Amino acid sequence: MFSDLSAQKEGSSLLCRPDSEDQGPVFERTSMAYSPCSERYSVGERSFNRQYAHIYAARLMQMRPLLSERAQKKWGSDVVIKKLCDLETGVQCCIVGTLFKRMDLQPSILREISEEHNLLPQPARVKYISDADELILEDELQRIKLEGKINRDKCVTGSVVAIYGVEKNDGKFTVEDFCVADLPPQTPKPALNSDRFVLLVSGLGLGSSRADSMLELQLLVDMVTGQLGDKGEQREAATISRVLLAGNLLSQHIQDKEASTKAKYLTKKTQAGSVEAIRLVDEILLQLVASVPVDVMPGQYDPTNYILPQQPLHKCMFPLSSIYPTLQLSSNPYEATIEGVRFLGTSGQNVCDIQRYSSMDNHLEILEETLRLRHLAPTAPDTLGCYPFYLKDPFILEECPHVYFSGNAPAFDSKLIKGPDGQEVLLVTIPEFSSTQKACLVNLRTLQCEPVCFSAFSAADEDEESGMNVSH
Amino acid sequence: MDELYLENIDEFVNDHNKIVTYKWLSLTLGVHVNTAKQMLYHYLENKRKESSPELHATYLVSGKLVDKGQTCHKVSVVREDQLEDFKSKMNLIVSVHIYSVQKALLKDSSPLYNVDYDALKDNLKNCSRYSAIQCSKAVPMSPVELQQARETERAPASAPESQKLGVSSGSSVASKPSAKTQKGIVAMFAKQPTPKNQESSKPEQREESPMLEVPPNKQASKTNSVENFFGKKPDKPLKEVQSSAAVGQRGQSSPPVEKQEPAAVEPQKDTKTDSRSKSKRIEASDSEEEKMEKKKRRRIKRPEPDSSDEDVIPDSPQPLETREPSPLKKEATVQLSQGNSETKIRKRRRVLKPRVFLDEEGCMVTEKEYVSESYSETEDDVPAPKNAPRDAKAKLPSSSKEEVKKSQKKSSSSSHKGTKQASITGFFQKK
Repeated sequence: MFSDLSAQKEGSSLLCRPDSEDQGPVFERTSMAYSPCSERYSVGERSFNRQYAHIYAARLMQMRPLLSERAQKKWGSDVVIKKLCDLETGVQCCIVGTLFKRMDLQPSILREISEEHNLLPQPARVKYISDADELILEDELQRIKLEGKINRDKCVTGSVVAIYGVEKNDGKFTVEDFCVADLPPQTPKPALNSDRFVLLVSGLGLGSSRADSMLELQLLVDMVTGQLGDKGEQREAATISRVLLAGNLLSQHIQDKEASTKAKYLTKKTQAGSVEAIRLVDEILLQLVASVPVDVMPGQYDPTNYILPQQPLHKCMFPLSSIYPTLQLSSNPYEATIEGVRFLGTSGQNVCDIQRYSSMDNHLEILEETLRLRHLAPTAPDTLGCYPFYLKDPFILEECPHVYFSGNAPAFDSKLIKGPDGQEVLLVTIPEFSSTQKACLVNLRTLQCEPVCFSAFSAADEDEESGMNVSH
Repeated sequence: MDELYLENIDEFVNDHNKIVTYKWLSLTLGVHVNTAKQMLYHYLENKRKESSPELHATYLVSGKLVDKGQTCHKVSVVREDQLEDFKSKMNLIVSVHIYSVQKALLKDSSPLYNVDYDALKDNLKNCSRYSAIQCSKAVPMSPVELQQARETERAPASAPESQKLGVSSGSSVASKPSAKTQKGIVAMFAKQPTPKNQESSKPEQREESPMLEVPPNKQASKTNSVENFFGKKPDKPLKEVQSSAAVGQRGQSSPPVEKQEPAAVEPQKDTKTDSRSKSKRIEASDSEEEKMEKKKRRRIKRPEPDSSDEDVIPDSPQPLETREPSPLKKEATVQLSQGNSETKIRKRRRVLKPRVFLDEEGCMVTEKEYVSESYSETEDDVPAPKNAPRDAKAKLPSSSKEEVKKSQKKSSSSSHKGTKQASITGFFQKK
């Protein structure tokens, strides 16, 4: 896509002598209308003395009408939608409620304390699901155990669903069918007459001890800022009208676990590793913002609040780049409309959390699931840190995005899905740059997405190659 | 184009033994990146013809690569010996150009980054100057614009808050118009005697609101703070009996931590009042010391406390977090008021205190700063700053009307300030 456009040659190659008159082309960066829509993710007054129950209550209240409507569409308008308290044994009906998965393996601080005496160190788990898990449906008043046609392992705590079935004598509810809220309504995307790109990058991971991908990162910056490549490539690079950094600017390894346990006087003169790393981020950002508008989302390892929604990184951390109006520090989750195309996404915490607590492994699959559930982070606040909202759950999707992404994925993946009402959504998992050296370009006109890889050579490559040669 | 650059490159490569990348060259010679790429090519071509000692080059290749069914745009730096091999793997080649020229054969590409990084460091401010893309939007904001941007950013957020809390607060680093400052300094001397009067009058005011805590000291104009100490007291009680009472209260509870009595925000307009101020007598005796102290204080480039005008807000004496170890409490005792009508000797000392406030960008800052506090050796545990309320009463009959007007004016100006900075005290207020 991008390569094909860039390859339309118009001038001479750069493998020639410099022309005396030609001072080199200068392309103007295409600009696009941009309006951030992240207000709902900003936390004004921060009061942490509320209980989390309010979120579930607010979530169920907001979702109930949507799901009732869906249920009527799916099972006929005469379907009986009941609350759990009105449930009668042996009568088929539909119930709207919040799923709760009781998991034995789910880490619990209370259990750890109660079992303190003979606590064996638990191996770190990748997944917390087990065969003993139980699925329970809750509404405002009651809960009931579920069995039957519902995929226990795939479901996660906190999703609001409508189930259809019957209560048996043993007090369990046998599910015959269930439905989710599915995609929210979408504002149609305006037709663009030229190709414009948004570059999505995630997980720069600066500041790790091994400065592996620095040249690759520099290549990325050089490509976007129009330094490298032939004229054709530079011309196309000028159509990259926005760069979105989706979290984890800093490396995970920068967090010094010992720092908190060490005596203060020992660490007095040592500077946190993140200080140097942020300076590096600032320099990278400076190069970018001098040439292209950049959105910066915080991620799991970045210096802002940990729980969702993460608030924008503070300007004062970027003294060099923050003087440019092109730097936009945004929240995580991120929501904005770029030239009429609505972007929504996170730095990946929500997806990783669902991955741990369900049988789903593929980030793209999880991403699609959250969109169908119409909720960005169903597992918050159960297993994912979240601010105790109480009036409204901001993670419920009210408008369908055109591009729905999550950052820090192990690999690039993308998919265009269609909703029941003709919605068209591009799902993108943005690979972690520091491990894959990949970013991705989204074409706003066609909603196509393509990875961009950067590579350099290293001594290791050569060994590998020569090793292969020997084996041949 | 004159070909001097060939000699330049030759010098860099052969004499300085440098790795010359196109970007480094572009920044060093101040030419467009594409020209720099061509220069390197030209140079390499010439050298190859001369069959002089071997030079190594790296190339940048970009293009389309279809890997396992997935198309991607690949951008790579490759060594010359791998170039053809690499090109053959690509499905579509978009660009090929020289990335760097150097004498040594590079095993690893990381030196290429380091070279560019050093050049970049020196040219951070205009790193995109020679690139092929320009962005008309990316113009650095001037300090004024920055300020404006911050204000507009903050205004909606902080305004309601200050209204809600009834807090007026100043901005921590905001620089005051110099005119005001000068007035303030003038006012300082003129008004300076008044604090002493305060002590003799009006002790009962203190009891008025015993539960109130110290007014926030947010206002922090450096220039302003000096005169605040001396000049402001007389207004204060009239405007704000409560707050000074609160200070008294505070002083009682913890003398060593007690704060400088809140001085009013703006010294301004008081000159009239000052001239009629009854006590000029001490001026002579004190002025020298005063000046010295003024100098001293001036050096301290830290925000000084000020008061909120009308309102008393519960404040927490505890810092959220301090950057310096707290026991660094330096004291500088200055005799301030000998010519006092009272028998007790009042002194001023400077105490290093933590102060927490929200800065213009809404982030919480804890600063250590010197505040001057008044205390008496004889009655250390008696609220020192009670002098304020006393004076208030003494002066009340003569100038209350005027003062009231003034305070109104002041309140308007201070509420304006309130929009600039959210009050830290709001943070501590019970809800």
